[in-house]
Amino acid sequence: MVVVLGVHLWLANFGQASASLRAILGVILLGLALFHGLNGVRTVILDFNVGIQGRKFAAVILLLLGAASFLFGLHGLWPLIIGG
Amino acid sequence: MTRRIAQILGRGGELNPRNMRLGIWAWLIQRISGLALVVFVIAHVLAISQANLALTGPLFTMFDGLRNPFWAVNRTVLVIDLLILGIIAFHGMNGIRIVLFDVGVGVGLRSQKVVFYILIAIGVVASGLVIFYGLPLLGGT
Repeated sequence: MVVVLGVHLWLANFGQASASLRAILGVILLGLALFHGLNGVRTVILDFNVGIQGRKFAAVILLLLGAASFLFGLHGLWPLIIGG
Repeated sequence: MTRRIAQILGRGGELNPRNMRLGIWAWLIQRISGLALVVFVIAHVLAISQANLALTGPLFTMFDGLRNPFWAVNRTVLVIDLLILGIIAFHGMNGIRIVLFDVGVGVGLRSQKVVFYILIAIGVVASGLVIFYGLPLLGGT
C-alpha cells in the first residue's frame, strides 16, 4: 500500500499517466486503504474487550461502512474508469 | 471499563506518560494516526464523489481541500495538508518497521530503536521532497 500510495501522491501532484492506469491504481488504492484502515479500527475496538456480540456488531458496521465508501469511491473514479 | 482505564493511565500504568518508552509511544501514535487517516480517507473519498455538488463558501473550501490535498486553497487548508502528510509519513514508515520486525529485522532492544530512527529519517526526507517539489503547487493556482 505504501508503494501504491507513493505512486498516487506522485501522479496527483507531478506525474502524468493514462486514464486507464489512474483508474486501475485508484481502484486498487481505494480497496487497500479502506480494508487496511477499517481492519485497523476493528483491531482497536477489539483491544477494548467488547465481547463476541460487540466483535460481530463492529465487524458488520465496519463492513457496511467499507462497502458504502468503496461504492462512493467508485462513483468518484467513474469518469476515469469509463474514459480509460 | 473506567477502572481499567484508570489502571492503565495511573501511576505505574503502561500508558502513563512517565512510564512510556519509545516503543509504546510508537504504538500509541500509530494507533491515533491510523484512526485519523481512516477519517481522512473516508472524507477524501466522499469529497471526490461529491465533485458535482454546487457548494459555496467555507463548505466549498473544506471539500476542495479534501478533494485535492497539497493543492491548498488557503493557509488553514495548507496546515491541514502538511499535517496529513506528516501523519501519512509516520504511519507508513512505522508500519514498515512493524513488518520488518515481523520478519526478524530490528528485533533487539537497541536495533529496534535504530530501525525506528532510520525509517523516520527516511519519512522526513520523503516528506521534505514532497514539500520542496510541491511547494509551488501548495500555494494554490
